[in-house]
Amino acid sequence: MKFVAVIRQVPDSESRLKIDAGRVDLSSATLILDQMDEYAVEEVIRLQEKHGGESVIVALGPERFEEAVRTALAMGADRAIHLVQEGYLDPITQAEALAEALRAEAPDVVLTGGQQADWDSQALGPAIAEALGWPVVTWTTALELEDGQARAKHDLDEGAEVVRVSLPAVFTTQQGLNEPRYPTLPGIMKAKKKEIRKIPISAASKVEVLEQSIQERSRLGKVLDGTKDPHAAASELIRLLHEEAKVI
Amino acid sequence: MPIDFSLTDEQKELQKLARRFAREQIAPVAAEYDAREEVPWPIIEKLHGVGLLNAIIPEEYGGLGLGMLEEVIIGEELAWGCMGIYTIPMASDLGITPILLAGSHEQKQRFFKKLTEKPALAAFALSEPGNGSDAAALRTRAVRDGDYYVLNGTKTWISNGGEAEVVVVFATINPEARHKGVIALVVEKGTPGFKANKLHGKMGQRASGTYELVFEDCRVPAANLLGKEGDGFKIAMNTLDKTRIPVAAGSVGLARRALEEATKYAKEREAFGRPIAEFQAIQFKLAEMLMGIETARAYTYYAAWLTDQGLPQAHAAAIAKAYASEMAFEAANQAIQIHGGYGYMHEYPVEKLLRDVKLNQIYEGTNEIQRLIIARHILSG
Repeated sequence: MKFVAVIRQVPDSESRLKIDAGRVDLSSATLILDQMDEYAVEEVIRLQEKHGGESVIVALGPERFEEAVRTALAMGADRAIHLVQEGYLDPITQAEALAEALRAEAPDVVLTGGQQADWDSQALGPAIAEALGWPVVTWTTALELEDGQARAKHDLDEGAEVVRVSLPAVFTTQQGLNEPRYPTLPGIMKAKKKEIRKIPISAASKVEVLEQSIQERSRLGKVLDGTKDPHAAASELIRLLHEEAKVI
Repeated sequence: MPIDFSLTDEQKELQKLARRFAREQIAPVAAEYDAREEVPWPIIEKLHGVGLLNAIIPEEYGGLGLGMLEEVIIGEELAWGCMGIYTIPMASDLGITPILLAGSHEQKQRFFKKLTEKPALAAFALSEPGNGSDAAALRTRAVRDGDYYVLNGTKTWISNGGEAEVVVVFATINPEARHKGVIALVVEKGTPGFKANKLHGKMGQRASGTYELVFEDCRVPAANLLGKEGDGFKIAMNTLDKTRIPVAAGSVGLARRALEEATKYAKEREAFGRPIAEFQAIQFKLAEMLMGIETARAYTYYAAWLTDQGLPQAHAAAIAKAYASEMAFEAANQAIQIHGGYGYMHEYPVEKLLRDVKLNQIYEGTNEIQRLIIARHILSG
């Protein structure tokens, strides 16, 4: 069987991003393999360990994505295909380009992150399924293969359901699917020798980003003085937590 | 292009791995193991799992054959998480190095197998209760008896001594001959007559196990002799010339942690109506820290590079070790100063940095011994 993880490279959550001329400036950010995609990489490796076959990494993005691809190979995937294009591409256009490469690979299972860490887009997995005409299971927390079919558990808004889907199919990940392994040192050394097939593409984005901004969060700095009337202060605190913060 | 400061992709990847390991696996539990003075065996197992343990063992013996530069890159990252915990793999490399330098093919096969097939540690036993810097004055006796050496004596301050599968023990077959009478013997865990007592009450680096080793008529196969009789002192010195470079790397990592903690605190803490980071008195301290970190790292890399090139490096290792450990001591000290009263408390991580880094000025040759090595290098020219 063949298992594919579609991955992206995103800024580390601890990176400080800044806006330069209406664009997010990534030049000083640490870029990593998206943690939601990391679940996908772990899952394809586990599927391969269990069912044999091949685990393949597929990425679409600028040249710099190669570092994230190497990380996925160091975790244990067999080889990679990197569709190279600089600049922004909307998820639908990405999915169309990826679908072409995926069709040629003819995998049984495609996994990708449920949500891209930086832009919060959840579109890629379902868009790939749509482009391929395959079923999709989103927010997957458990995945088992049996007799050419998959049994998957996935999160709903306030609950979960277990489904059976025919293969090939696309699955998007959710936290809890697995515990991704570290790329080991021997894995890092072996990854150097693994194949990354680079395919330059020139897709035209259907969406153009005109301007980007980062939400500034500032604290309200509300301080309740409990020294004079602690009872009143406690009541006020409870009222604020209940009515304004809405946490209790 | 004679000078190149860039890391290879592979080195960047292993740096990333070690950094992530330190952040996710070491830093969150460091204070707890420090308080309990307990060896974090689950971390040793995980280090083995990702290949960061005993990785200097050559590939033909089941290791990864990492060079000194790779070791230094990893060392800085792990020590950022906890210097005491980093001392465990570092001291294991210290135990591996004499076997690497002087062991036969058969000995390497036999001992390295034990250190690669499962999470396991090595140790290096030179110091004794009555001698440290004057290594040639050691008293542990080895008497040849047929195919064995019979060991009697006591070693102390031995990192990993009680956990280690193999301990390289330095003993004398003739105390009168001083350094010419020294032999290096590999003693395996569980050898009858060999006992390890854990030393309690350390100031810092409390997650690393430090032991007193007692040998009472301990019979060690003569097949475990590294090199030949009389080689021991040279083996010990050549080992330390290499292994004090990772001490420098650990110091750099610890100093980097001190700077990060101090920076974070200085931006948050307010005095006179503004963050203390806005005061020059604080800014100068932070700047001094970075000056120290950058220069110590650059020099540590240089010492590692000399080692990997097979060039003379004893003086460079000594400079790196003494300079980096003193720089890091000052960085930890200033990080506490910036934290004020909070820095003196266990709740903040900076007091531990100072307690931990003190040992970097003492072990693997005190900084005074490093200066003797450096002076000898100057005067022998």
